[in-house]
Order: sequence, then C-alpha cells, then structure tokens
Amino acid sequence: MIGKLLQADFIKIKRKGFWLLSFLGAFGVVGLQIVNYSLRYDWLIQQSDDKWLYYLYNVHSFTAMALVLGIVILTSLIASVEDETNAWKQLIALPVSKMTVYLSKFTVLATLLFISSTLLAIFTFSYGLFLDLGEPVPYIEILKFSFYPYCASLPILAFHLWIATVSRNQGIPITFGVIGCIATYLAYVLPDWVIWKWPTLMNDWNDPLMNVWLGIGFGILLYFIGMFDFIRRDVK
Amino acid sequence: MEFIVQTNNLTKRFGKHTAVSAINLKIRKGEVYGFLGPNGAGKSTTIRMLLGLMKPTYGSIRIFNEDLNKNRIKILKQVGSLVENPSYYPHLTAYENLEALRKILGAPKSRIEEVLAIVRLSDVANKKVKSFSLGMKQRLGIAAALLHSPKLLILDEPTNGLDPNGIIEMRNLIRRLPKEYDMTVLISSHILSEIDQIATSVGVISKGSLIFQGPIEEMRKKANPKIRITVNEPQLAYQSLLANGIQVDSQNQHLYLSEQTDNEVAKAVKCLIKNDFSVYRVEEEKQSLEDIFLQMTKEGNLQ
Ligand SMILES: Nc1ncnc2c1ncn2[C@@H]1O[C@H](COP(=O)(O)OP(=O)(O)OP(=O)(O)O)[C@@H](O)[C@H]1O
Ligand SMILES: [Mg+2]
Repeated sequence: MIGKLLQADFIKIKRKGFWLLSFLGAFGVVGLQIVNYSLRYDWLIQQSDDKWLYYLYNVHSFTAMALVLGIVILTSLIASVEDETNAWKQLIALPVSKMTVYLSKFTVLATLLFISSTLLAIFTFSYGLFLDLGEPVPYIEILKFSFYPYCASLPILAFHLWIATVSRNQGIPITFGVIGCIATYLAYVLPDWVIWKWPTLMNDWNDPLMNVWLGIGFGILLYFIGMFDFIRRDVK
Repeated sequence: MEFIVQTNNLTKRFGKHTAVSAINLKIRKGEVYGFLGPNGAGKSTTIRMLLGLMKPTYGSIRIFNEDLNKNRIKILKQVGSLVENPSYYPHLTAYENLEALRKILGAPKSRIEEVLAIVRLSDVANKKVKSFSLGMKQRLGIAAALLHSPKLLILDEPTNGLDPNGIIEMRNLIRRLPKEYDMTVLISSHILSEIDQIATSVGVISKGSLIFQGPIEEMRKKANPKIRITVNEPQLAYQSLLANGIQVDSQNQHLYLSEQTDNEVAKAVKCLIKNDFSVYRVEEEKQSLEDIFLQMTKEGNLQ
C-alpha cells in the first residue's frame, strides 16, 4: 500500500518546484562559500592550519538555516497540493488508511531532504577539491556535516508536517516557520531543548552526535503525535 | 431484500448543532437513489460519513452488508465518489490526475483511456486541468470515481454549477451506469427536477432528518390534487357556496374545493348552477413533484 501511495505522491509533486528546491537548498549553502572564497580566498585560507575543517565550518554555518527553511517550504507545499482543491476528501475516500497517507507524505519529504543532504555532501566535497585544501580529504567529516543536521532536523520536519496537514490554511505553519528560522538564527543563545537549535549541532556537551540521537528520537515521537492527530480528525 | 447501503440512526453533531439526525437510509441494489434536500440539510455531511471522511457521532453504517467502521478499506475498494466541488490537481494533466489515483486503486492502466472516453475527455487527456471548464472538471471527477469500476457510486451534487447542457449530459451519463455497468448510484441534489427523471428512489432530508424515503411514484402520490372552479362572479359564488354548507376556498378569482369526492364536486356544481352562476371550468389542479418537495421541506420535521 505505501508503495502505491508513494508513487502517486511523486506524480503529484511534479512541476511544483519540489525537486528544484531540494537542489537549490544544497547548492545555495555551498554557493555562499563559493562567493565567500572567491572574494577573499587569500585571507580565508590563512585562518586555520586545518583548511578543510575551517572550510567545512563555513559551509555548516548556513546548513541549519537552509534545512529549516526548506522544511517549512516543502511541508507547506506538499499540504497545499492537497489543499488547493480540497483533494484530501478525494484521497481519503480511496481504499487507503489515513495512517499510510500520512506516512507517505512524510516519506516523500524525508526522501527529498535526504537527497538534498546528499547533494550537499557532493557539492561540499567538489568545491573543497577545487579549492585545493590539501590532503587528506576528511571524507568522514564531510558526511557528518551533511547528514548529522538532517537527522537533527527530523523533529522539525515531523512538527511542520503535522501543523501543515491539519491547519485549514497555511498561515499557522508559515508563522511557525518564521519563528523557527529566527530561532535557528539565534541558536547560540538558546537553551539546548529548543528543537530549532538542534540542526546547528551545537550543545552544551559539545557532542554533535547527541543532536542526532535526540533528533531521531523526538522525530519519531512527534511523527506519531502528528499522525494520530491527523487520523483522529474529520477530513477537511 | 438486499440493501447496498443501510444506515442505522446515523447522527452527526458539530458542537451543539445537529447536522444529521438519526437517519436510516436504505438503498437497494441497482437503484439510482436521489438524495434530496435544501442547502444545509445535511446531505454532504451524510455522504462524508458514508465514505468514512467523518466519524458519526452516533449510529452505524453498513455498505455491501459490511460494517463501515470495521471494513472501511475493503468497502471503499468498490465505491467511487465525488464529494462537493470536484477535487483535482490543477498542475497535472487529466491523464496524470487519473494516473495518480489509478496507482493507489491498482486499476489496470487501460482503464484510464476507458473512463476518459466515457466522460468524453479523451481529446484533452494531456492538457493541464487548471485550463478546464467547470463542466470538464466535474466530468474528470466522475471519471476518477469510475476508475476502479465500483459497484456503488456516490455523487454529491454532481450537477452543481453546470449549465443546462452540462446537466443533461451528466444526467444521461448517470442514467446509463446502473444498466451498463451494474452499479448502484447515490446522487444528491437540492433541486428535485434535476434528478426526478433518473432517480428510481428518493430520500428527502430536511434540517438533518429524513422526512421521506421510497420509490419516486410514492412521492408523487403525496400530491393532493385540488378541484378548481372558475365562475363569472367568484366572490358572490364563494359566499353562496358557503351559505349552502359547502367547504370552499377562494384564491385569485378561483374557487377551490376542500372536499374532492365526486359527490362533493357534483353538489357544488349543482348549487352554483341553481343559483344562476356561469360555470366556466371545473379542473383538477395537480401539484408538481417540485411543489411536493418544497412543501415537504417547508414542513420540515413536522412530517
Ligand atoms: N465541519 C463542519 N463544522 C461545523 N458545521 C458543519 C460542518 N460541516 C457542515 N456543517 C453544518 O452542517 C449542516 C449541514 O451541512 P451539509 O454540508 O451537510 O449540508 P448540505 O445538505 O450538503 O447542503 P448544500 O446543499 O449547501 O451542499 C450545515 O448547517 C453546516 O453549516
Ligand atoms: Mg453539500
């Protein structure tokens, strides 16, 4: 069942900019460093002995923001595809369980964000090579900086999918989106329990892996809360 | 008797407001069941419950003799539906719209061409639906409802917003379905004349209560015909009849008899002639079906 719904959902997101957005998110983050390094290469390259790590930190400084923004836009977009002509009623009058409908939407978004994170790793690696940052190439670090924020942002994804699917208009999700972006921007002054801080991988223990496990754990929890609320409600 | 749809005291409340109140629908196999009621009567709410889109506050639903609450997915495999305004994905073509639904329904791919042909949209299969007229969108909705060759088709005001031609076309299409495809159809409307030619049975809902259910002929019987008499001096004749103890109404220069037995009519006519009035016409005035429907819904829950 979930396979069929996924196929249908991937048809529905055609021509709506989902794929372009997933590409742009990753490209934008590295693109900013392309601008940065093009403008002041000589200065930046002298800032640290570990040129690769310094470069990765620069890239990473925009990753969380891009992720949060991407989640807000993608979740609202996927809800609006069904909201536009109130196709929820048509979808849920099909022989499918509401649980699977919800799971399919989540899976589509999680997949797009995963692809985006993979692209981020590829772009980061490629531009790093181009900058000639020296040997050895820190493959593991590149992967960590690309996929840790992804895992840490799962609660935000689950939360936004929830409010985007149950709200009657996208005003509430967008409002939360704006708040979330500001919170991510100000992450360094916020306490560790704020979920919008997690994709920045900052915490008091200085252990990024902590955010990964928290992200997965709370992501699952919020996913189930959202799903059960979606099931419980009458269809819009 | 085999019922395709059967509800038992189906009730839906929104807060304190009761939108659907203890209704017992009975729809037989092969029927075109017209579900009638004025705006806000509770038609859509009932239909949403039949499709599992809303949970009843109280009562139960059986479709194909199975409990909807327990076997929703199994039942819906054989139900096609169109609820309120047509739903579609405007950025996709007609074909892609149906393809997305077909994937979920697991219908064969060839079925898309078939249903597009049934609703005569084959020529525009590869056009984006956002450019369609309302009538075309409505027809696409029907095509979607027919994709998996359902045994029960539930259509909520499918003629809403269509021009007279579109209405006739839709009517012809729906009329064909039970015979050609062995379907049972539930179709709602707030205008009786839209469906009285295709419906075999009707249910009339008003303010949430089902006030009539049965064959359409039975509804016609509810009409109470009146005897209308036209005379030269209606006012004087009216008083003269009353003076002779004959029950009569006077309206728009016509006399209407309250009692309609042959005897009473003869008595009234005799009386008029005896008193030297010129009797121009004695006619039976039949109530139209629409009048009956309007009268029923006006009386509302009084029954
Ligand atoms: N989700 C809802 N929340 C609150 N009230 C509702 C909701 N849906 C319907 N109602 C109310 O229930 C009543 C019945 O509405 P319904 O849409 O079933 O009527 P209808 O017979 O389909 O009318 P129409 O011919 O206008 O489509 C109305 O008074 C409506 O305001
Ligand atoms: Mg309605």
